[in-house]
Amino acid sequence: MTEIAYYPGCVSKATGREYDISTRSVARALGIELIELDDWSCCGATHVPNETLAIGLAARNLTQTELPVMTTCSICYSNLRTAVRRLEDNGLRARVNSVLERKYKGARVMHVVEMLSESLRNRELPIKLSGLRVTPYYGCLLTRPGNGIDSPEHPKVLEDMVRMLGAEPVESPLKMLCCGGPIFMPREDAALESVYHILQSAKRAGADAIMVVCPLCHLMLDAKQGAIERRYGVDLGMPVLYITQLAGIALGLGPEELALEMNSISPLPLLERVYQRMTGD
Amino acid sequence: MSDAAFREEVVRLAGDEIRTCIQCGTCSSSCSTAHLMDNSIRKLIRLVLEGRRREALASESIWLCTSCLLCTVRCPRGIRPKAVVSALRQICEREGISSRDASFERIFMDQIRSKGRISEVLLSAAYALRNPDAAVPIMEMGIELLSRGKVSLDPGTVKGMDEIERIFRELGND
Repeated sequence: MTEIAYYPGCVSKATGREYDISTRSVARALGIELIELDDWSCCGATHVPNETLAIGLAARNLTQTELPVMTTCSICYSNLRTAVRRLEDNGLRARVNSVLERKYKGARVMHVVEMLSESLRNRELPIKLSGLRVTPYYGCLLTRPGNGIDSPEHPKVLEDMVRMLGAEPVESPLKMLCCGGPIFMPREDAALESVYHILQSAKRAGADAIMVVCPLCHLMLDAKQGAIERRYGVDLGMPVLYITQLAGIALGLGPEELALEMNSISPLPLLERVYQRMTGD
Repeated sequence: MSDAAFREEVVRLAGDEIRTCIQCGTCSSSCSTAHLMDNSIRKLIRLVLEGRRREALASESIWLCTSCLLCTVRCPRGIRPKAVVSALRQICEREGISSRDASFERIFMDQIRSKGRISEVLLSAAYALRNPDAAVPIMEMGIELLSRGKVSLDPGTVKGMDEIERIFRELGND
């Protein structure tokens, strides 16, 4: 059994619970043992302007294990990867190590997208999501600042994933426009405007659902969708699923294991379509 | 702080390559909140390089940056405009230039320093107390999340709080 250290991040305990639950269920189904990172702490998200301090906070987490560290949050992922790159500088590494309990000696960081891409490839899935039109929403930090999972300008890793699950990827022109999540509390108007355009663009592209890979993107696109409908006087009703929820459906896991009832816009009608088609075949 | 000292501090914090900016505007044209800004990101870098401290620090643009990093990916000079924004935020906070945005960052960092992790409920409550006009959308969000079982007061405890305090004390004084 493959062992991976799992860095859930703060959001997994509250607004991103369905991401955490579905990640654990999917890993179990794939025969991957997720070992929650011992004594993990906040990575600083986008709110620590002092870069050295931010790297220190990220590095502390990386010294808690010798295993590869997997995270589901694109902000955590970008911060951890940035720390790994910056800590190649020996001067900075010595300075950070002088305050850490355990010394940082290098680390491998991965996003749950990478874990899924590796383990779903060449795997026969019990349920094909055929006929589902899914638009992947990349957001920002899965691919930025670069040298990571895929091109920051023309990524295709999520379209490949949608295809792997048997669904049809739908191109939405705003798939990489920022959701505004990091400023949604002090700057609500600015953030909601972005989300409105992202959701409209997905709808116009003819998507049945949006697939996301970050809990903050999910909060903005799913939990805030009602507020956007009221503010802009539109009817959206666009289900927004985590990549682990969609993968879990294809792996034959049930709605409870994937916490589908926790999504604000219910994906259950979509799921019924998938099952109906199966029994109809 | 003199204007030249201000310029040199931002350069030290955000990288020497800032001096090579050709004002091409790739950063601003990649920015998702550019249309809401008073100074574009391009202009902000110019203000820094010209040592126009007061204008730069008063610019709302510093707080409209969502940290999406598209400017950083695209800059043909390898400048990290987001790092410039971070440096300006850091200077604003140090100099006590207060705003609703600065208060959000302060609350966020204080919570990491005292608890090691972020509790979204405590974060939202602390922010709403300082900025009462934000209370209504925060409550609406809270009700939505509560109905889905996604509100938790307790993000778990961190044992290594001494280490976190040391990180803040020793690395946070750049």
